Amino acid sequence: MLRSSGWGKTLNRTLLKNGRIICPSENLDIIGDLIIEKDKIAYVGKEQPQSNVADTIIECNGCIIMPGAIDMRVQSADPGTEHLESLSDLLSAAGNAGITQLVSLPATSPVVDSAVMIDSLRLRASGCKGALFHLYGAMTQALDNKNMAELGMMAKAGAVGFANSLKSVEDSLLMRRIMTYSKMLNKPVIHHCADPYLSNEADMNESETAIRLGLHGVPSIAETIILERDLNLVALTGCRYHAAHVSTASSVEALRRAKNKGLQVTADTSPAYFLLNDKAAGDYDTAFRLDPPLRDEKDRLAIIEAIKDGTIDVIASDHHPIEMDKKMLPFGQAASGAAGVETLLPLAFSLYFTSDMSLSKIINALSVAPAKAISLTIPRLAKGEQANITIINLSSSSVIRGANFISQSQITPFEHYLIDSKIVGCFVNGVSMTN
Amino acid sequence: MHIENINPLAAAKLSKKHILGIEGMPIPEITSLIERANYFAEKPKDTFSDILADHTVLNIFFENSTRTKVSFELAAKRLGASVVNISISGSSVKKGETLIDTATTLNAMQPDILVIRHHSSGAPLLLSQHVDAAVINAGDGRHEHPTQALLDALTIKRSLGRIAGLKIAICGDINNSRVARSNMYLLSALGADVRFVSPSTLVSPFFSDMGIPVYTNMEQGIAGCEIVMILRLQTERMEGKEAPSQHEYFQLFGLDSCKLQKAARNALIMHPGPMNRGVEIDSKIADDNNKSLIRTQVELGVATRMACLEAVAGVKL
Repeated sequence: MLRSSGWGKTLNRTLLKNGRIICPSENLDIIGDLIIEKDKIAYVGKEQPQSNVADTIIECNGCIIMPGAIDMRVQSADPGTEHLESLSDLLSAAGNAGITQLVSLPATSPVVDSAVMIDSLRLRASGCKGALFHLYGAMTQALDNKNMAELGMMAKAGAVGFANSLKSVEDSLLMRRIMTYSKMLNKPVIHHCADPYLSNEADMNESETAIRLGLHGVPSIAETIILERDLNLVALTGCRYHAAHVSTASSVEALRRAKNKGLQVTADTSPAYFLLNDKAAGDYDTAFRLDPPLRDEKDRLAIIEAIKDGTIDVIASDHHPIEMDKKMLPFGQAASGAAGVETLLPLAFSLYFTSDMSLSKIINALSVAPAKAISLTIPRLAKGEQANITIINLSSSSVIRGANFISQSQITPFEHYLIDSKIVGCFVNGVSMTN
Repeated sequence: MHIENINPLAAAKLSKKHILGIEGMPIPEITSLIERANYFAEKPKDTFSDILADHTVLNIFFENSTRTKVSFELAAKRLGASVVNISISGSSVKKGETLIDTATTLNAMQPDILVIRHHSSGAPLLLSQHVDAAVINAGDGRHEHPTQALLDALTIKRSLGRIAGLKIAICGDINNSRVARSNMYLLSALGADVRFVSPSTLVSPFFSDMGIPVYTNMEQGIAGCEIVMILRLQTERMEGKEAPSQHEYFQLFGLDSCKLQKAARNALIMHPGPMNRGVEIDSKIADDNNKSLIRTQVELGVATRMACLEAVAGVKL
C-alpha cells in the first residue's frame, strides 16, 4: 500500500491516492486524492486522472485521510524517568501512531514551572523526529498547589496553557488568581478535578467491586465537586478553562450546564473512560489502576453520549508512563497511569464500530477540537495548509500488545483488546513518520 | 483650574469638619486646598508660625510610617501647633483597648486636630464619630489617603501647569492601594484622563464599572501618558500569591526605560514611596531628576498638609 521513498525523508510530491478525505474544519467528506508538496498540502480534491503528479504514491483505498491528530494530554517521562521513555522515544512513538502534535503535562522532574524549562524542552524536541511538541506550564511552583508559578514568563516562552498534576488545586482563592492571571495572558487553564479529601487514599471508584475487593473507593462526585467549583470561578473570572480527563456522568451534566450558559469551557476524556468500567479491575490487575479511576458503567455510557453531543470536545490519550516495579505491587500500593499515545487513535475509532459515532465527530475530537481548546492552528486539509496528516485503515483487525509498542512504556489497560483500525500513514510538516 | 472665589491668601474653606477622603469632596474645596498648599510652598518655611499657635495636633499612627508622620509633624510645627506623636508600639491598643475607647480617652485631653493612620479601612470615620477634634485621614487600610492625592495633584500642577486633559496612568497594586483610590477621585474630578495599569489579579474589574479604564498590559496602559504614577507593591504579595514572583512582576509591570518609551515624550514619573527598586521601578528611572517627581512629591507633602491642618482648624460647625 505504501510506496514511499523511505522513513523520515522529506518527499517533494507525495500523492495520497483514492482515500476517503474527511476534514471537519472544511466540512469535507469525499473520496479523492491529496497531494503533499514539501511541507504543505498542494492539492485536495477528486481523483487525479494522471498518476505522474507525484514521485511517491500511497494507495489509500479503504483508508481515512484526516487532519493530523493532536494528543493534548500526555505526561512525558523526560526529564526525570527518561530511562522509561525519552522525549525522543515519545515523539517518535506518537508520530508512528498517527499523532502529529502532542502537548506535554508539567509533572516531570524537575517540574516544568519556568521559562527556562519550557525553552530547554522545546529546544530538545526541535531536534527530535516525530510529533510536534507543545508544553503546558505548571500552574503552581513545583506543582505545590500553593504558590502561583511564573505563568507570564512561561507564556512568553511558548507554553500553550497551564496545568496541574494529579492533585487538584484545593485553595479556591489560589485557583481564582490563577484563572484571573491566565485570562490576562489569554491562555487556558487545564485542571484535573478531584476533591483531595474525598479522594484521599482512594484505590478505585467507590462501587460494589471496590467493596468486594476490599479497596478504598472514591465517589464519582469527588471529580464533580471540584469541577463545579471551577466552573463557578470561570463564570467569575472569564478564564478559558479545560476540564481534563472527565470520567463521570455528573461531571458531564455540570459541563453541559456551563456550556449552555456560554462559558468558555472545553473538556477531554480518554479511551479508558468510554471503553472500560471499574469491573475491569476485578482481579486486582494494576494496569487498570488509573487516575481518575475507571468508573461505573452508567458513567461510561454518559461519557460516550457527551462525546456524541459535543459536551466533551476532545479525546486525548492521558499517556502516563509508569515503571514496571511501581505496578508490580498490591493494587492499593501501585502507581496510577498507563501508556496511551500508541493506542489513542484505534481506540477512539472503535467508537465508530461500537457506539455508532460518526467518523467526522471522532476526527473532530482528535484534531480540530484540541487545537481549538489550546489555540493551536486549526488543522485543515486544504491547499496551502501545513501537511500534518493522519491516514488510518478502518478494516484491519488486530489485538493490542504492549510488547509491540515502540516506547518502553508498555503497560496498558487495553492489553489483548481487539481493535479494527490501523495507522498506515502519518505526515508531520510533510515528513512521513510511520515505519 | 483657577476657580472664582479661590483666594490662596486665606485658609481653604471646607464644608465638613474632617478630611476623611477625596470621594465626595466638592471640587472648589479640593482646588482651594491645592492653591493654598501651593502658596505655602512658595513662601519661606517660618512665615506661618502663628496660624495654629494655640492648637494641639495629635498624630496617631496605628501603622508604621516615616514620611507621612514626619510630614504631618513638620506641617503642624511650621504652623506653630503643639504636636504629640503616638505610635502603635507605645499605645494602649496593644493592651486590648478598642479604637472607640482610645478615641474617648484622647478626646478627654481636648486636642484640636487628630491625624490618624490606621490599617483598617474606615477607622478614621469611626474615630471622628467619637471625638470633638477635627480628624484628618493620613491613610486608612485600602480606602483613602487624601493628603497624598492632594500633594500629587499639587506636584503635577506645579510641574506641568495643569491637570485637566492630562493622561495619567496609575500602575501597580490597585486593589490594595488607598493612594490609587484617592487619586482616582481627585485627578478625575480635576479633569485628568486617569487609567489603571495592573496585573489582572491586582485590579478589580469593578474599577472599570466605576469609569476608570483598566489595562493589564503595561505598554498599552502607559501609551501616550504624560504622568506615570507607580505604586508600591508589598513584596509578600508577589511570592506566588497575587503575582508569581518579583522577577515576573518586574518583567511585565516594572517601569524601565524600555516600557517608558511608550509613554508621552517627556513623561514624568511619580511614586508615593517607599519604593521597591527593581520590582516596580528601575532605579535608573527613579533617580533621573529630569523624569522623576518623587522627591518633589515628598517636598510638597509638608505644604499640602499645612493647608489641610489649617483648613480643618478653621472649620466651625
